[in-house]
Amino acid sequence: MKQLITTGSRQKKTGTTPAFKSAFSFLILIGILVFGGQISPHLVLAGDTMINCDAHKGVCSQSLGDTTVSLEISPRPVKAMQDLVFKVSIEGAAPTNHPHIDLGMPAMKMGPNQVALKPTGPGTYEGTGVIVRCPSGKRTWFADVIIPESGEVKFIFDVIY
Amino acid sequence: MSSYPNPVRLNLSSMSFIDPLYAVFLTTGFAVGFGHCIGMCGPLVVSLSLNFKDKHFFIPHLLYNCGRIVTYSILGGVMGITGSFTLVASRIAGLQKGAMILAGILIIIMGLAMSGWIPLGKLFGDSYHPGGFVSKGFRRLSQVNSPAGYFPIGLLLGLLPCGPVYTALLAAAGVGMKAGDPFEAIIKGMGVMICFGLGTVPALFLVAKLADMGWLKKREVIYRIGAILMIAVGFYFVIKGIRY
Repeated sequence: MKQLITTGSRQKKTGTTPAFKSAFSFLILIGILVFGGQISPHLVLAGDTMINCDAHKGVCSQSLGDTTVSLEISPRPVKAMQDLVFKVSIEGAAPTNHPHIDLGMPAMKMGPNQVALKPTGPGTYEGTGVIVRCPSGKRTWFADVIIPESGEVKFIFDVIY
Repeated sequence: MSSYPNPVRLNLSSMSFIDPLYAVFLTTGFAVGFGHCIGMCGPLVVSLSLNFKDKHFFIPHLLYNCGRIVTYSILGGVMGITGSFTLVASRIAGLQKGAMILAGILIIIMGLAMSGWIPLGKLFGDSYHPGGFVSKGFRRLSQVNSPAGYFPIGLLLGLLPCGPVYTALLAAAGVGMKAGDPFEAIIKGMGVMICFGLGTVPALFLVAKLADMGWLKKREVIYRIGAILMIAVGFYFVIKGIRY
């Protein structure tokens, strides 16, 4: 039997808590802790995982204002956990500072993974980096090419584990 | 290693061990802790908490986290001195696969022990025996009434494959490559991984605290439901490990 004690606007319940309520709360807690994190990597907004680059086939290009930014990753097919060469070329106005690449997964935070790019010619840059393997099985990664003072271009692609 | 100046001399006065990368990976550990780590290590932490039915969670989980951070720091040191992430990662891949399978088996055993349906007793906790009969061997194990066992568990589970850990190891290899000598490379590599590991601790402690709630543990039925979930997660880890 529940008894309600009202003090001003506050209400306090006393008495026994139904077992099913505890069990339900427990299941929610354990479910969130145990399965939530395992499943959550797979629950991603569709817009975030719109693959716009087939990195296995070759160069991918995107427009950024008046310039065209291209990215090529080698060796191909692009595999995780191996040294990769990232080549970026910018057609149009040359950036004042060197661009760099932020690697990550749309599905989850993987920590800062930057590829420093060095100029190899007019408007072309190159750097090495590693795409790490995610045990969740998710294979979609992005390479965010950041061009100082111009903006950034996001290439979203699948890798092979 | 070949990039180090020869002869290699330790010059402690000119060495700068304070790297902004430490702060970056401390905050990274904190951020991914509340997302990624809860998903990956949450089941383990919940299992460890539930297994310690009548005891306080703090010391066992402190030891578990210390073990995990020690493993991270060793890996960071190795990454630092070699300066090559891919070289070390390829060598430890088999070890990580084994750790994942072993973690799964461990969770299954703890789940079975907790449920009391199979007379395994409790392996790492108190002497709670819901099933009554406990075989002689497992009784001995269950009588090891010390949370010290959580340190080696942490050491082992620090090897679990994990994306953000790989990223931190990548940074450890990077600072090692830029270091002036092998000693600095080891220290800086370890530093990055220690900071990352410390950053992940609050999230895992929070999970441990949630799973340690007395009202959860004192209800036999829901305690057993938890055991079923643990067994399911254990199988999930084993399958993931085999496929990894």
